Amino acid sequence: MEAPRKSLLKLKKKQIAIKVKGYRPTKDSEPYFQEYKIPLKPDMVVLDALNYIKDNIDGSLTYRWSCRMGVCGSCGSNVNGKPKLTCETFIDDVGDNLTVEPMARFPIIKDLVVDIDSFMTKLKDVKPWIINETEKPIEKGENLQTPEQVDLYKQQSMCINCMLCYSACPVVGTEDDFIGPAALALSYRYNMDSRDQGEKERLKITSSEEGVYGCSWIGECTSVCPKNVDPAIAIQKLKLTGSLQTIKELLLPKFVK
Amino acid sequence: MDYSDIQTIEHDVLVVGAGGAGIRAAIECADKGLSTGIISKSLLGKAHTVMAEGGIAASLGNVDPRDNWKIHFRDTMRGGKFLNQWRMAELHARHAPDRVRELEEWGAVFDRTDKGLISQRNFGGHRFPRLAHVGDRTGLEIIRTLQDFCVHQGISTHMECTGLDLVLDKDKVSGLVGYWRETGRFVLFKTKAIILATGGGGKAWKVTSNSWEYTGDGLGMAYRAGAELIDMEFTQFHPTGMVWPPSVKGILVTEGVRGDGGILLNSEGERFMFNYIPEKFASETADTEEEASRWLEGDKEARRPPELLTRDVVARAIKKEVEAGRGSPNGGVFLDIASRRPAEFIKKKLPSMYHQFKELAEIDITEEPMEVGPTLHYFMGGIRVNSDSQQTNVPGLFACGECAGGMHGANRLGSNSLTECLVFGAYTGRSAAEHATNSKNKSKEIDVNSLLLSEEKRIFSNLLGKEKNTEKVSVIRDEMQLNMDNLVGVFRNEEDCLKACKVISKLKSRFKKVGVSDKERPFNTELVSVLELDFMLDVAEAIAHSALNRKESRGSHYRNDYVKRDDLNFLKHSLAYKTNDGLKLKYIPVTITKWKPQERVY
Repeated sequence: MEAPRKSLLKLKKKQIAIKVKGYRPTKDSEPYFQEYKIPLKPDMVVLDALNYIKDNIDGSLTYRWSCRMGVCGSCGSNVNGKPKLTCETFIDDVGDNLTVEPMARFPIIKDLVVDIDSFMTKLKDVKPWIINETEKPIEKGENLQTPEQVDLYKQQSMCINCMLCYSACPVVGTEDDFIGPAALALSYRYNMDSRDQGEKERLKITSSEEGVYGCSWIGECTSVCPKNVDPAIAIQKLKLTGSLQTIKELLLPKFVK
Repeated sequence: MDYSDIQTIEHDVLVVGAGGAGIRAAIECADKGLSTGIISKSLLGKAHTVMAEGGIAASLGNVDPRDNWKIHFRDTMRGGKFLNQWRMAELHARHAPDRVRELEEWGAVFDRTDKGLISQRNFGGHRFPRLAHVGDRTGLEIIRTLQDFCVHQGISTHMECTGLDLVLDKDKVSGLVGYWRETGRFVLFKTKAIILATGGGGKAWKVTSNSWEYTGDGLGMAYRAGAELIDMEFTQFHPTGMVWPPSVKGILVTEGVRGDGGILLNSEGERFMFNYIPEKFASETADTEEEASRWLEGDKEARRPPELLTRDVVARAIKKEVEAGRGSPNGGVFLDIASRRPAEFIKKKLPSMYHQFKELAEIDITEEPMEVGPTLHYFMGGIRVNSDSQQTNVPGLFACGECAGGMHGANRLGSNSLTECLVFGAYTGRSAAEHATNSKNKSKEIDVNSLLLSEEKRIFSNLLGKEKNTEKVSVIRDEMQLNMDNLVGVFRNEEDCLKACKVISKLKSRFKKVGVSDKERPFNTELVSVLELDFMLDVAEAIAHSALNRKESRGSHYRNDYVKRDDLNFLKHSLAYKTNDGLKLKYIPVTITKWKPQERVY
């Protein structure tokens, strides 16, 4: 048997220059690009390059990373302007002029590290937990949920909170308070869960001024998602149910709402 | 340093680590009405638990009603070669179903049976399909559910705060010195109980499935505070890590691939695991491909395929095939599911694996075999705790999850660690809460200034202030990793272990000359990596010495010079502890409880 090889071994060159956006809070007023030259290996991803620089050239280069396998969502950066997980982005695929910048739309703490406090708050704001009046003791066994019922929300539950969709979203860029793609998709995920009864409560939040109507449906969030979550669709569906809810509230007498 | 901004935070209970065990413990403490804080050295939700793939073991009996907790207990003990803390293994199996149901109640997504019950898959060493799972991203779902629930409960989570030192009042825990990464400032947590849930220290090896943060911080802190480390020589090598491309060598390929029908082949196309069935497992392992195929199709009379033997057995078999010259081109063997299952099935059941190989290796696993080899995956050893209270020998100090030792014995069954996180997270939370409630308040007032001054001197003055750094953290780290890879691996012997101990001792003295090039306080990750290396060297030392002294083969600890299990001399736990003269080892007997593993009844 032969092991597959393919494009990863076809190296275009041996050395590469990488420009990394740097920012030192104690010294710099503005971020600036620093250039590093590193030896290129065939299977090198952007994160490997950053680690190479840190170990061998500049120990002070600062970035977040953890799992190195595209699951933890810590290493998101803008690579050649596009939001990417650096652990999954092969250098050979991105072309000659490699630039790495912190994710857009977030305040920079140092080099590639950004402040994510606002994101953590937005996640919490959409009430991402099961809301259900009846408490069922666990001795009674699990809630039943058919595979078809799971399929209604499973895709939207794959989010790894990497925030690439915020970095990509043009609305997040202009409206600070916009709840944003990942949190809205999360809200939709719980609404669609057969164990949950919190849709009405969440719709109040997602249909508010900071909610779904800010979305201009450009769909960048969905296209940059490394886990195939589809916030764009989730947001459109939230708009629809949100509007129906509003119409109901306006037209129907109180006792049938 | 200006001490006017020294920060002190008080909690009844402080949990160190925000993985599955830590968050579950915090939820339990908060539920008891105590002020509870979690510190996490990474961002919330990024802990190592997210990387767990295959599932969480619990004898729900949803897929095969013959399963029950006693069989789970038996399987765990047998996998652990009876070196487990029996009482812990019993609690683990007994409470697993409730903890999984509870997680489901909190909103976790699980794959379901047609009837809507939580579906369960097969895994190595588990007699029946026992793993509740969602595709191959079960850990992520568990962390996400716990994280959301914990936020909902209003538990204080302090992110990117590294624990440095436990503060003792005489002999009992009274606080912890932490380090805020963002500002580079110290913080003192005053507390009545501390729960360590910091995971393992697999980053002491180069080839490992472990993430950046697995640097043994909790093990190191506990050891320095006088706690004992139990059975540290038992380090699990997962049989199937990626071997290519080189930059991802070691990354995990879930056992779920084999659970769902994947087979292991050598370069000659032979399904070699049939040649490695241990006598003890012969009666329940298929000995022909025909029988293994029937089992896969659901024939309950058929025995399990040999690919699902315990991890230690499979890891050694792969290593032997490679050593015999029958390995794959990149030094592993082939794992093939493409020829066993339709593409749609693979994509549905193993979406992350499909994605991982596509993205990282440009391999389509629905069409081609994967190349895999052993990778350091898990520490069975860890901080010694009382089996019922989870308290260490330091009063007020508790531990759970991977950083606590003893539950898995000499070898862990896949998926038992997620169960361990929930079961012992809850247990530990409960007993730490009890301890905090009962402890008379007012431990001696901590002299914050002198405490932080000495910490300041240890860390900042000695490191940031140093102009000439003769040693680099990356160089020492790389040498330590190579040392552990080469000398304390799947196969061990006296000479190698002795050499490993010597290398570590030399690295420890070289470490004193290490410096950092980043002189800034805010977000100094280079400084953090120095602190972590300090912990890792202690952990590596404990492992190498424990491995040197266990002159037998048991579970994951295999000695080429002592190939037999030696119950007469070594059915006992090793304890590593710190003295003024450095590390010492002692041994204690295994405590056998009233619950004996029962005979199998079919």
